[in-house]
Amino acid sequence: MIALDFPEINSILVWKDLFPSFNKIALIAVLAAVISITIFLLAVRQDHKEAPKGIRNFAEVIVEFIEDGVVMQTMGKDGLAWTPFLMTMFLFIYLCNVPGIIPFFQMPATARMAVPLFLALMVWVIYNVTGIKHQGLLGYFKSTLFPPGVPKALYILVTPIEFISAIIVRPFSLAVRLFANMMAGHILLVTFALLSEALFQAKDKILIPVGILPFFMLVFLTSFEVLVAFLQAYIFAMLTAVYIGGATHPEH
Amino acid sequence: MPTAIVTQSSGRIVHVRLVSSDTTDTTVAPEAVALAAESGTGAAETTAVVAAPNPIAPTPKEIFWSAGSFFVLLIVMRYYLFPKLKKGMDARYADIRSDIEGADSVKAAAQTDVAGYEKQLAAVRVEAAGRIDAARQTVDTERNAQLAQVNARIASARADADAQTAAARAAAQGQVAAAVAQVATKAATMASGRTPDASVVQAAVAAAMESAGSR
Repeated sequence: MIALDFPEINSILVWKDLFPSFNKIALIAVLAAVISITIFLLAVRQDHKEAPKGIRNFAEVIVEFIEDGVVMQTMGKDGLAWTPFLMTMFLFIYLCNVPGIIPFFQMPATARMAVPLFLALMVWVIYNVTGIKHQGLLGYFKSTLFPPGVPKALYILVTPIEFISAIIVRPFSLAVRLFANMMAGHILLVTFALLSEALFQAKDKILIPVGILPFFMLVFLTSFEVLVAFLQAYIFAMLTAVYIGGATHPEH
Repeated sequence: MPTAIVTQSSGRIVHVRLVSSDTTDTTVAPEAVALAAESGTGAAETTAVVAAPNPIAPTPKEIFWSAGSFFVLLIVMRYYLFPKLKKGMDARYADIRSDIEGADSVKAAAQTDVAGYEKQLAAVRVEAAGRIDAARQTVDTERNAQLAQVNARIASARADADAQTAAARAAAQGQVAAAVAQVATKAATMASGRTPDASVVQAAVAAAMESAGSR
């Protein structure tokens, strides 16, 4: 009845170079940085004394969102110094996620492991270094591996679990959460787009109207990916703040 | 001439594809295609075994570009854009706070003025009420005094009138008593042929008039 030729996984995830060592993923990453810088450059050029409007309002909303929605919720006032880092991370991830639903790009850069892995490893280094800086090497590992309030006998069980959880698993869970969500979304979009196309172009005319069903699903998933793009960036930034906050203030 | 490309994973054949040597398929290394095309005469004889790139594995160039872009963005954001934007926001918020505090102080001053005005108004009202009470008392006193004078004049006039009335009545009673006594004396004289004693007649007339007046 219908032959659906699903492309190889590599043909929808691995991109050929636009020029040597520079592919679509690199382009999206560079554009994410350029767009962020442009937005904030245009914002800071406006008169700060006037009520913010347009792009300045947009930039200030992002700053306040990170301050109130991420930093204050997880680290308190002491964490406000981390706002530029967390805002950069949020913007970069969001702008790497969003191209998944933008025509011609149609690929989130975070659906390749390079971007999430790099960001997760960077976060891992930062929260460990920050923890050691604030509490000292012994203090940090003591607060991380020997959580207070646990009966001493249970440390035999708890300490290895905490070590695996906090030191080993965290960066991978952080990276895989973002990567898997974005890759799954991308594959779903490809699947429903191909199914819609195959049904709309089916030789059997009776199948053509059926194509509306995967097409509606495609539209719905595209809208859903808008939410997922924001949500994954927010979750990544939030967890980064939680890890850094936990490393600087273990009593919380 | 097409070339058969066999993709293996862990020794198992997972994909076989016929491609030409000018393929743009990124899942196959071009050099492998070229090698396969050069070393054989046809698809039946030539098999190039190429491991497809892992779709999950990160590639160094993607890590390099994403890390580079992120660090450039972070540096520009951390040392120039964010401080400048935040400085502007803080300055504007400080202005707004200062304006609000100014407005609060103006409002407090206005409230103080209103309280002073209301205090003065209350004092004026108390004073006005006092003056009105005093005036009312004065008026009452004067009215009472005038009423007393008028009442005294009326009482005096009434006493004079009563005295005149009593005098007139007494005079009239004397005349009536004299006339009655005269009539009674004449009647007794005519009836008995003797003239009654004048004092007895007068006493009887007086008693009769007194009893008549008391009824």
